[in-house]
Amino acid sequence: MSVLLTLPIAVWSFLMFAHFWEPNRAGQIAIVMTAVFMIAMFYMMMRTRTTYRWRRWFFVAMGLLFPVGFIHTVIAMRGTMGIPIEEMIAGRTPFCFLPIPLLILPAALTKTVVFPGSILPGTGMAGAGMAAMAGMWLAMTIVVGKGWCSYLCFFGGIEEGMASVAKRAKLKKIDTRWRYGPWAVLLAMVLLSLALFDSVYCMWLCPFKAVSEYVAARNTLGMVQNGIFIMLFASLVIVLPFLTKKRTQCAFFCPFGAFQSIFNKTSVFDVKIDKTRCSPCVLCKTACPTMSLTDESIAQGETLMSCMKCGACVDVCPKDAAVWHIKGTDVASNPERARLLLLYGAWGMAIMFGGTIIAGGLATILHVFIK
Amino acid sequence: MRHRQGELKNVRLPPVTGYSIFGEALALGLASGPACMASCGPVVVPSLLAEQEGMRLNTRYLSSFLGARFVGYLLFAAVAWGLGALVSFPPALRLPVAGVVHLLLGCVLLWYAYTVGRACALSCAAPELVTIGVAKKRGVPGAAVLGFLTGFSICPPFVAAGLRAAQLGSIAAALYFFAVFFVGTSVWFLPFLSLGCVRRNEGVTTVARMAMVLIAVYYLYLGLAMLIGRKVYGY
Repeated sequence: MSVLLTLPIAVWSFLMFAHFWEPNRAGQIAIVMTAVFMIAMFYMMMRTRTTYRWRRWFFVAMGLLFPVGFIHTVIAMRGTMGIPIEEMIAGRTPFCFLPIPLLILPAALTKTVVFPGSILPGTGMAGAGMAAMAGMWLAMTIVVGKGWCSYLCFFGGIEEGMASVAKRAKLKKIDTRWRYGPWAVLLAMVLLSLALFDSVYCMWLCPFKAVSEYVAARNTLGMVQNGIFIMLFASLVIVLPFLTKKRTQCAFFCPFGAFQSIFNKTSVFDVKIDKTRCSPCVLCKTACPTMSLTDESIAQGETLMSCMKCGACVDVCPKDAAVWHIKGTDVASNPERARLLLLYGAWGMAIMFGGTIIAGGLATILHVFIK
Repeated sequence: MRHRQGELKNVRLPPVTGYSIFGEALALGLASGPACMASCGPVVVPSLLAEQEGMRLNTRYLSSFLGARFVGYLLFAAVAWGLGALVSFPPALRLPVAGVVHLLLGCVLLWYAYTVGRACALSCAAPELVTIGVAKKRGVPGAAVLGFLTGFSICPPFVAAGLRAAQLGSIAAALYFFAVFFVGTSVWFLPFLSLGCVRRNEGVTTVARMAMVLIAVYYLYLGLAMLIGRKVYGY
């Protein structure tokens, strides 16, 4: 049965990776390894009827291999990880999805994009351009909502990996008000981007600049910016996830995550707590990496809107009370079907988006050994 | 060229009347209002969200903010006129002034965020504007302080209005121009009133306070960078 259920994903993988087939041997090996890996993880999800553990392998691999492939490309094309001001002025800054919410108001009010990149496919590091990235984001977001942060974000894997290193959390008492952090960063960044006509988050607060593309520091300002990037990365992505076993950057800081929470309302998939089965032991609350479950929400049978659909609560629940759910249906009506439908959509997109990232990173490493 | 100048001399410009000043200033204000709204947004939105719920209280907030901003406008215009700097406000003077204004804005926002937290701890139900001061009776509405300081921010629309006002010949006409210009820009602040309908709870207040702290830190940096710009930017 598990093999049958995996078959559509295997076909999709074949089609996707055949499309990205490379002429060199290292690239070919990387593509085959990635395809096998993605199919194997999906098969294990089907076989064990659990999600979180297998999804995490994929997610951490994507998080670790994204900087490898990206930094290699940047250095090959530009000679340095630092982006100089000339590249920004020329609109050749590579675009990631994180500034999308910051661009909407300035674009709506002034028809101007406050990001030094190219809307259409450009030259050099501009890559596919903002339109392609925004289009892909919109299509995927409509289906998975905030599931983006568990299956498609190429930044979250590093902290998820760090969160799973320690067996037990060393910092257990976390003020729940920190959960509002992403909304505050989103509000401040949207307002400042509109006022200053600048992508303020990218310039000042993105922790992942530390492992992708920092500012080419030619003055004190650049040094300060890079210092902030490194400090945020070290604390929110490395140290705090290790101490708390939570995805602290995602849960307490990421403005894109807050924005993405809104789209949990448009996605048909969510996670519910079956109140007839719940004891409540609150194991789900402890397991949730983004603190999206509270005593009140469990009592109401709901997760908070920040739920990333990672499956940690569903897998840890001893009474199968935390369940995958399709909106408009009964909570107890076939949660496995809901999981399957979500996973087909999410894993299909993960192969397309994350699979190419993993293959790219692997190919970069394999190039060192195989010519 | 000389011929052209002669031609220009003979051109009869329409007389500058109260009506024409009014129309011109209002049009300029309305046209540049979105820029004013955007530049004041980081100050107004979080501080307004930090206040209590209700249209009446939010109207009071916005009245205090705009009233103080109006005073700031006129005071700045008068001082600049007195210094003869309305037209060519030199960067050497402009940067320190803007730097100090940003530093003060940052400090007030920090104080605001702190006061909101304390006010909530004492009584969240009191439908009063957040005041900044030691004792409540002697305190100044935070909205007024923020409005006054934003009135001093030298934003592009302000400079455009200053350039035109300087051509009017008398300080009274210039102040009149600024007053009408202010009315034009203020229309764009009315949508902020809708924030009064947003239901206030711990989440909204906390988000507003955290956002104020972030914006304050950025303003403090901007202020410092303007004051010691050469050292920061390296040119």
